[in-house]
Amino acid sequence: MKLTEEEKKTALIITRQILKEFNGNRGNLIPVLQQVQNKLGYVPPVAMEEMAAHFDIPAVDVYGVLTFYNQFRLTPPGKNQVKICMGTACHMRGAHTIQEAWERRLNIKVGETTEDREFSLERVACVGCCTMAPVVVINEQVHGKVTPTRVDGLLFSYQLDKQQTKEGGTE
Amino acid sequence: MEVTITIDGKQIKARKGTMLLWAALDNGIYIPHLCAAREETESPPASCRLCFVEVEGYPAPVTACTLPVAEGMVVNTSSERVNRLVAAGFELIMSNHRLDCKNCPANGNCELQRIAKARKLRLKPKNLPVLHRDLPVDDSAENIVYDPSKCVLCGRCIRACRNHGQSVVGFARRGFERVVTTCGDVPLGESGCDSCGECVKACPVGAMSLKKK
Amino acid sequence: MSKGSSTAKAAYAKLQEAARQNWEKLREKPLILVGAATCGRAAGALQLMEEIRNEVQRLGLDVNLLEVGCMGHCYAEPVMVIYNEGFPPICYGYVSEGVGARIVRDFLVDGDPGIEFALAALEPNEMLPTFTDFPRGMHEKKIVMEHCGLIDPQNIEHYIATGGYASLVKALDMAPEEIINVIKSSGLRGRGGAGFPTGIKWETCYNAPGSEKFVICNADEGDPGAFMDRTILESNPHLVVEGLIIAARAVGAIKGYIYVRAEYPLAVQRIALALQQAREAGLLGQSILGTNFNIDIELFQGSGAFVCGEETALIASMEGKPGIPRHRPPFPAVSGLWSKPTVINNVKTLSYIPHIINKGADWFKSIGSEKSPGTAIFALAGKVVNTGLAEVPMGTTLRELIYEVGSGIANGKKFKAVQIGGPSGGCLPEEAMDTPIDFDSLTKAGAMMGSGGLVVLDEDDCMVEIARYFLDFTQKESCGKCTFCRLGTKHMLDILEIITKGKGRLEDIDLLVELATKIKEGSLCGLGKTAPNPVLSTIRYFREEYEAHINEGRCPSLMCKDLIAYYILPDKCERSCDACVGSCPVEAIYSNEDRIKVIDQEKCVKCDSCMVACPPQYKAVVKLSPPHLVAEREKGKE
Repeated sequence: MKLTEEEKKTALIITRQILKEFNGNRGNLIPVLQQVQNKLGYVPPVAMEEMAAHFDIPAVDVYGVLTFYNQFRLTPPGKNQVKICMGTACHMRGAHTIQEAWERRLNIKVGETTEDREFSLERVACVGCCTMAPVVVINEQVHGKVTPTRVDGLLFSYQLDKQQTKEGGTE
Repeated sequence: MEVTITIDGKQIKARKGTMLLWAALDNGIYIPHLCAAREETESPPASCRLCFVEVEGYPAPVTACTLPVAEGMVVNTSSERVNRLVAAGFELIMSNHRLDCKNCPANGNCELQRIAKARKLRLKPKNLPVLHRDLPVDDSAENIVYDPSKCVLCGRCIRACRNHGQSVVGFARRGFERVVTTCGDVPLGESGCDSCGECVKACPVGAMSLKKK
Repeated sequence: MSKGSSTAKAAYAKLQEAARQNWEKLREKPLILVGAATCGRAAGALQLMEEIRNEVQRLGLDVNLLEVGCMGHCYAEPVMVIYNEGFPPICYGYVSEGVGARIVRDFLVDGDPGIEFALAALEPNEMLPTFTDFPRGMHEKKIVMEHCGLIDPQNIEHYIATGGYASLVKALDMAPEEIINVIKSSGLRGRGGAGFPTGIKWETCYNAPGSEKFVICNADEGDPGAFMDRTILESNPHLVVEGLIIAARAVGAIKGYIYVRAEYPLAVQRIALALQQAREAGLLGQSILGTNFNIDIELFQGSGAFVCGEETALIASMEGKPGIPRHRPPFPAVSGLWSKPTVINNVKTLSYIPHIINKGADWFKSIGSEKSPGTAIFALAGKVVNTGLAEVPMGTTLRELIYEVGSGIANGKKFKAVQIGGPSGGCLPEEAMDTPIDFDSLTKAGAMMGSGGLVVLDEDDCMVEIARYFLDFTQKESCGKCTFCRLGTKHMLDILEIITKGKGRLEDIDLLVELATKIKEGSLCGLGKTAPNPVLSTIRYFREEYEAHINEGRCPSLMCKDLIAYYILPDKCERSCDACVGSCPVEAIYSNEDRIKVIDQEKCVKCDSCMVACPPQYKAVVKLSPPHLVAEREKGKE
């Protein structure tokens, strides 16, 4: 995914703003990465270079940290992030069929974003709601006892929400 | 302060606190190893898991690169347990190393060949299938060719690059995907690499090599 | 110190007095508590809050409505408790849409407590049984979980009013050696998994040279199937904070950290708030309660790496590096964060500390078994009727835990195994059910206490598949540093995948055992050393399932996708019903000339939808293994 010049510029400004709050102690690297990702949704190369300079470490080390942890993304996510819990209880109660249902409905694979950047699909480690298995987290909201048919319903409700905000916006 | 230890029946002297691996190597006793580095005294990587030895008083084999020598230590570098463990570790490494000795620039000067010879091990894994990773060869740098499929992830090139004052390569990703690469996985030729060749000197196998002129 | 301690006592007495007054004021009106930890929220607890709020407003009632954490009865979510004058406090479960408003209306307006929705009363009374009248309650012994779900985790006064921070006051009056001695003689063992004695860890750190020391609470609960730490942090965060402050006092730390995983956003919120409130109350920060003792605690969020539960990896990630473990020794208690002596304790371990300081080592030792004193907190999940959290004395047997606390297997299915300890643990079968739960017995049986996740498996769960699942997990979560874990687990996973596809060879089982033994011996850290356990334990107890996959291409539990096919029994199909046809996402189901539904095996994606859709009175859709049985059946019909 190629980033536009505009996206790069925003990323740079935001990263610099965040870095101002932290001293050069390397222990601050992960909190900074988290804040940049919270703001931008991902961590682009320009941000990595900026952090490397701030903490006085090689850029490849920032890249090493970024690619080590599940949480960080190198490319922009979808507006709605669908996360399928892959905990034991969810797995034994059919998380893989739920995953396949999402993949079928969104026509993307896990780790991908739909072309309109509306949805991205991810697998997450156990979210700790084992008693409600299988679980899907959409944005921050946890949905329990999901079935393949409920996937359609969930998707529909998010699309409906979007339509309503759109209509609300034009009024 | 010097201490006296016994390795394979041979008495040797070493400075107290030296890691056993270096004490052995300095006295002409070979212990297989890939990742160890003398300068990393504080926290050796201990990642290749090939320098196992048996030490009297220890319930299980230990890695020689992490064990400081102490007075009276009695070491066996090739007990049956050690041999089995080293053979298993070596077979695992070889199951993830593109084997092409005939065309490899490191042929004849390869640590893997040396270990195989010293411990009478097969280079080609016997029980395990080869795990392919399909990583392309990077020949974009002026002088250097990097073949990640041959890399054993010892990290020596990363140290060499840093000692040279550059920091082009590093470890990225994790698990089976762990790889030595540049920031953003850009080709070496675009990474600011000045083709000094330190990584080639450091590489114990043929993953980093000089271009044939 | 005595002057400082009297100042502290006075300062605390003032705090407690104010807290108690407000706490008692709460009960002057009817009090409604809604369990809204993450599990409750997933079941609609926030909607329930809203519903009750609206109903109360509509009826013009004057009540106190509070969001609380989780009592552990997750099976019955959403859960709600009502305190109403003249009645015992009653806990309601399965409070679905409309029910909450109805209970509030009936109870608070008409005085009808709606016992048909009640799980139990919280105090002995003439009217309703209490939790302790049920088998579950008879086994449960709540220490850490005592106040979870009954106090507001966002209000420090609730914690203080119920005796919180009194142990800190006591600890401020004790010399560090005294605190360490109490913990040492209590026999408390770390609840993070390995069961290392906490007192010895503290002592090592205390004796380590250096004036800069750290204490860290490890809340990087990553075991899939475990959610005890999340519940404690969401339901009673101050308990953990108090435990950590006492730890800091004991070892002489200058700073504390709580390391929470990123997947627990609500826990992060709750801790951040708790720390802020503790600071404002003078219980944290500079000159705590007016004494000369200072300690501040900072929150550190993990970034999604299971291996960071390993203490040296956790430290690496706090130092801004990838979470890669290093060789031990030196142990963190001697050389940890920034190479300074550091104590790292699990959430549950720290939660026992205030209780032990308060009630003494002998009290703690009187609970549980000799070598594993205290209680164990288990997250019951999977195919058990009553999923949720249970705190029982160590030494309780697995059978008691599953059949009495958990009420047995759901849906009348047959028990097959219980997976304990997550990716480091193992699967224990029926014959191991009488194993007492403690660190040493579980390890001997081939599982591990781990952090306490317990997933119950029934006859529909394939043991090869569960082994594959865990290997897939550890393989993805392996840091990749050392040879045995990085490559060994990958080979094991590949072999397991081949077996679940029905393409394995018998010698693969031996190869798995061989690899597993070597990985255990050769790996650098605890993750690699324990990663083969799920495979070894399933081969040990369920070898015949591996053999069925290999020899017959058959999955006895009808779970492995490549080895099953969906089939509609012609004599059971109702013909005029189209439920399965409509449910199929890929249009694989058609009607034949007799209007009997048939599955096109080429198109079928085995999504299970038709089996769910087929009305229970017909039960016409079945799974067959090996898949060629379908062709045989179809041929037989012709």
